[in-house]
Amino acid sequence: MQLTCRHIHFRHPGTDKLLFDDLNLHFKGPGFHAFFGPSGVGKSSLAHIITGRLKADGGEVHFDGARPPLYTHNQERLPDWSGIGRHLERITPAAAMEKKNTLVEVFGLSSLLKHRFSQLSLGQQNRINLVRYLVQDFQVLIMDESLANVDEQMRGRILLTMKAMFPEALFIYISHNVVEVATYCRWIWVLRGWEKAPPAVLVQGRDQLSGQGLDRQGLERTMLEIMNAA
Amino acid sequence: MLHRRIYQFLLIYALGLAGLLAIKYAVGLSDYVIPGATALWRTAGEVIGRYSGDVLDTLGVAVVGQVVSVLLALTIGILGRRTTWFGSFIKVAAYNVQAYPIVAIAPIIFILLGDGFLSRLLIAAMICYFPLLLAVVGIMSEPVPAVEHFYRQTGRMRWQLEVKIRAFENLSKLTTVIAGSATLAMAGTIVAEFIAAGAGIGYSIRIALYQSDLAKILVALFMIGITLSVYQGLLEWLGQVVKRVWAR
Repeated sequence: MQLTCRHIHFRHPGTDKLLFDDLNLHFKGPGFHAFFGPSGVGKSSLAHIITGRLKADGGEVHFDGARPPLYTHNQERLPDWSGIGRHLERITPAAAMEKKNTLVEVFGLSSLLKHRFSQLSLGQQNRINLVRYLVQDFQVLIMDESLANVDEQMRGRILLTMKAMFPEALFIYISHNVVEVATYCRWIWVLRGWEKAPPAVLVQGRDQLSGQGLDRQGLERTMLEIMNAA
Repeated sequence: MLHRRIYQFLLIYALGLAGLLAIKYAVGLSDYVIPGATALWRTAGEVIGRYSGDVLDTLGVAVVGQVVSVLLALTIGILGRRTTWFGSFIKVAAYNVQAYPIVAIAPIIFILLGDGFLSRLLIAAMICYFPLLLAVVGIMSEPVPAVEHFYRQTGRMRWQLEVKIRAFENLSKLTTVIAGSATLAMAGTIVAEFIAAGAGIGYSIRIALYQSDLAKILVALFMIGITLSVYQGLLEWLGQVVKRVWAR
């Protein structure tokens, strides 16, 4: 499975602000990867271009998978006319019901299924929104700050579970948390802005798995590498 | 909410009446021009029974006209919500037609359909239809990206779901618009009755006007105001019930 962006050129419609000029990057094979960079550098816009929600002025996105990439972000809401449990039942394919139950349990949502989305905390809202994407039949899932309001401990648990449960999927994680991307991601594309050459740098992450110890010195090196690249 | 509407009306009516009486006594006008409180009370006692029947007759026509308008506006608004040529056509047509004073074509309707129920109904429906249509088209053509995104991403979005999401997210706005259109429907019916019809409170006001009987007109205004306040209050209460049941 490969996802490639070639010679992407993009400026926001109606503005002079150039965002990407000859941006090239690729993801090869499944795993947990990331886009990292300062605010406004174009992480979300690039995700929109990859999923076809935005059209680049030049260049191409090539994905050799059967299903188009999914994109989720932390501002999404579930409709409030039913409880979140009922909503999950309705949007989960029959084959993924067991998976849904596991995710609900691991994500700490079991006791909240009767609640409406608006009655949940921001962190709980982030988690339930992510669950409904994970129960879909996907090959690539772009998570744009999807766990932004979730506490660190729960976030780690969720990311490790996702890596264990979806070894065939390609995740692109967009986050501003350098510790998080350095710890859990395999490859990190650090976006630096079109005026720098090269505009994106690839850094290898620690790709921590469940039950695996963490090399603290290695993590610090990776974080330094990411910060230097940015 | 119902109580608040009635209080508000009674307050405004009392202020208006007090103003009229103040002018009467300040300038020294006769009872023929502005009736005194006693004459007003006596007239009320004489006509209130008949006017109650008339105002309910008018309200009946206004309610049917409003229901027709709401159903039509919802249908056209849902059809016209897309950014297709048809959607654009609906919006442009609604904006342009709304700018025309519908009441000006009322005489044509009376000439063609006579002075019966149908003419009153048609005028009432037309007067409240276009503002309703504009509001419904506005609500239905405004995406709710935070909710709709998931359904679009996963290929689950159907027109019924889209309409349901947008209606649910804008239920308060829809309720306000529908409650507000009750005034327009009532105004449309009264204007129709005032122009040519042979029944309803508008017709009674026309007769009172020919008799230069301000007391009867003031009683009719009171009956219209109180009936409309109750009706609008009920509509708002109904909107809250729908929201509560939907979100249960």
